[in-house]
Amino acid sequence: MPADPFGLLRDLAEMPERGLRNLIGQPRIRLAVTGLTRAGKTVFLTAMVANLLAAGRGRRTLPQLEQAAGGRLRGVRLVPSASEALPRFDVEAHLAALAADPPAWPGRTDDLSTLEVTLDLERGSSLGSLLGGLIGRRTVTLELLDYPGEWLLDLPMLDQDYAEWSAEALRRLRRAEASTAAHEFLAWAEALPAGTAADEALARRGHALYRDALRECRDRLGFRFLQPGRVLNPGPRGETPLLWFFPLPHPRGGGLAGLLAERHAAYVAAQRADFFEPFFRRFDRQVVLVDVLGALHAGQAAFEDTAEALAAIAGALRHGGGWLDWLTGAGISRIAFAATKADHVPARQRDALAALLGHLVAGPQGRAGEAGVPTSVHALASLRCTQDDVAMLDGRPVAAVRGLLLANGRSAKVYPGEIPLRPPEPGFWEHGFFEMPEFQPPRLDAAGGSGVPHLGLDALLAALIGDLL
Amino acid sequence: MSDSPKGPRVILEEPAPRLDFQWEQAVVPVAVPAPRARWSGLGRVAAGAAVLGLGLAALDAANFVVDQFGRGPVQGWATLGVVGVGFGLLAGGAWRELRSLAALRAVDRARVAFARQDLETARAEALRWAGGVAEAASLQPALRQAGSTEELRALLEGGPLRLLDAEAAGLGRVAAVQAFSITAISPSPGLDALVFAWRGVRLVRQVAALHGLRPGLAGTFALLRRTLFDAATVAATDVAVDAAARALLSNKLLEQFAGEAAAGAVAARRMLRLARVAAEACRIVPPLR
Ligand SMILES: Nc1nc2c(ncn2[C@@H]2O[C@H](COP(=O)(O)OP(=O)(O)OP(=O)(O)O)[C@@H](O)[C@H]2O)c(=O)[nH]1
Ligand SMILES: [Mg+2]
Repeated sequence: MPADPFGLLRDLAEMPERGLRNLIGQPRIRLAVTGLTRAGKTVFLTAMVANLLAAGRGRRTLPQLEQAAGGRLRGVRLVPSASEALPRFDVEAHLAALAADPPAWPGRTDDLSTLEVTLDLERGSSLGSLLGGLIGRRTVTLELLDYPGEWLLDLPMLDQDYAEWSAEALRRLRRAEASTAAHEFLAWAEALPAGTAADEALARRGHALYRDALRECRDRLGFRFLQPGRVLNPGPRGETPLLWFFPLPHPRGGGLAGLLAERHAAYVAAQRADFFEPFFRRFDRQVVLVDVLGALHAGQAAFEDTAEALAAIAGALRHGGGWLDWLTGAGISRIAFAATKADHVPARQRDALAALLGHLVAGPQGRAGEAGVPTSVHALASLRCTQDDVAMLDGRPVAAVRGLLLANGRSAKVYPGEIPLRPPEPGFWEHGFFEMPEFQPPRLDAAGGSGVPHLGLDALLAALIGDLL
Repeated sequence: MSDSPKGPRVILEEPAPRLDFQWEQAVVPVAVPAPRARWSGLGRVAAGAAVLGLGLAALDAANFVVDQFGRGPVQGWATLGVVGVGFGLLAGGAWRELRSLAALRAVDRARVAFARQDLETARAEALRWAGGVAEAASLQPALRQAGSTEELRALLEGGPLRLLDAEAAGLGRVAAVQAFSITAISPSPGLDALVFAWRGVRLVRQVAALHGLRPGLAGTFALLRRTLFDAATVAATDVAVDAAARALLSNKLLEQFAGEAAAGAVAARRMLRLARVAAEACRIVPPLR
């Protein structure tokens, strides 16, 4: 991240409030949920809030978190909206849709939304509980944000200029698998001579070709490292002229390249101001959600692309550890990596799933560890949709999962294949592309009073925020 | 495992009802033992200082009384009397403070019990509360019969709490008229603020007394903190407060001032709101979300 002279000032300005809040035992914690598109962010936030609310009502939905809190959790409430300019993350609506008949998963997120949840805790010490009546209970307020996963990949763009970005983006598009989806755009762009004059029709044409190539890469090939994010998911305002740029083989000079460079700069500035600065410049805890199984099943190229995308995002976020961060109390203090949709594999394969994720994020995890940030790796199903079962394949029993297919309501046994413990050998990919079917959520209480069934959500939360309780 | 099938597979079966993990039953609350309080370093220091201060003072006083008896029975008895009354007042004051804090904590316990639908605790707290509030005394037999926390809540909300809310609103109107008039005639804004603060604290204490909380110094402080925190959760534009303010300020006499007393109208409105929020902070039933 290029040094931002005002960032430090802002960090310093926030210091007194943070200090005071910590002193009276009412910290505010910003919890950043990062995950590429379809990683399961929206479902994770919904399940987490529903289960926290239920735990606040005394339901034992998150046993490990309760244990970390030493049984002192007294209540959980949603902070009522004040005058936020952003939409509110609508837990009730998501839960109602999941519980409805027929059920519906949340659609692709296309805008930012925020929510704050406050955990009320009994004070731990005797003096504290005596003073509790005077200065109030201990509270921990979690600030949450949901956003389109595609936008996350704009973070690595923030410190590149147009020429650097062009070269990188073209390099990725020219890789063997991607180039099948992007050949039309590539052929068109490479035919443009250096110094082409700036022409609006040309720019629009190039943008349309580039956008189609990105969509194809995302939807058919399962690629994730696709920039800029707003081309794939323009957000509530739809497409704006800001988006009409694309990488060029000759990115320097005036003419068309100049026009595109101008738009690129404006785009980066806008994403910095609207998305990065308010939400990702400073946060305290981070969950990294990864659809490991989806990436694995999408083939070697998509798997490697996912790993590259995760590394690039981690490189763009700051992990504390610098003395300035230490001084201002900013920076991340814990990171949890989670392989989502762990209910797609039977119990005895979930450790393998977590181990594979560990390899996938080895780079970011190592860097965080060097900065002194504790990390943990989990297998997680925010909303458990399957039961373990045994399937007969080629006359032999194999561990599988059974659930209801969303598409037709038929029960199905799914054998997810053998999950390798580390990034697999080339021979592994021979069976070709496989798309995990979507499962129906189980029967849920529409009011959500008891939370939702999950796998490992409590362990993840205990590792992530257990020390605060 | 090397010879297990390589690729993933989907084996279709018949349509079936939705999976059911019996989640609601699996997570029903169980009574958890209350967590044991830890003594923090600061807590030990404070307790030690208190024991030393009080204990040494008591020993000192006892020695002094014995010395005085050595001088003669009159001096002895007189000193004993003085020491006894002094310590008695101290103990009485401390006892009152502790009781007022305990009463507030009981309100919290009751609210948690209602939120968790823990019927037995909620009933016990409601009965104890009803015993100390005139408006609710007659409700005790019905509370004993209640079969769910919802029923308890309905009984309390429908009867005594409604009365108490009305009474609190009445107190708020009185305070609002006073705040309005004082702001209208007082010479300086600084004085306004002082009077407002004093009247506000009194109002909060009056409302608390309605709910059977008789706050001492610490209790008042705790109550004010709760009230101010709760103020953030009560909607900023409150229909009830708006209506009351309009009714109050359209009074003929007050209208005479209204021209130059816009600040007075604001002060009056704030008093009304304070009464409402204070009542909210004292209720033993949590507000419905
Ligand atoms: N079986 C199962 N499926 C899940 C789980 N979590 C997510 N999914 C599936 O993954 C899909 C995507 O999840 P979302 O939470 O919408 O993904 P997202 O990260 O918000 O995606 P974007 O909004 O596009 O960035 C859902 O529609 C579900 O089908 C889970 O815990 N179990
Ligand atoms: Mg989403």
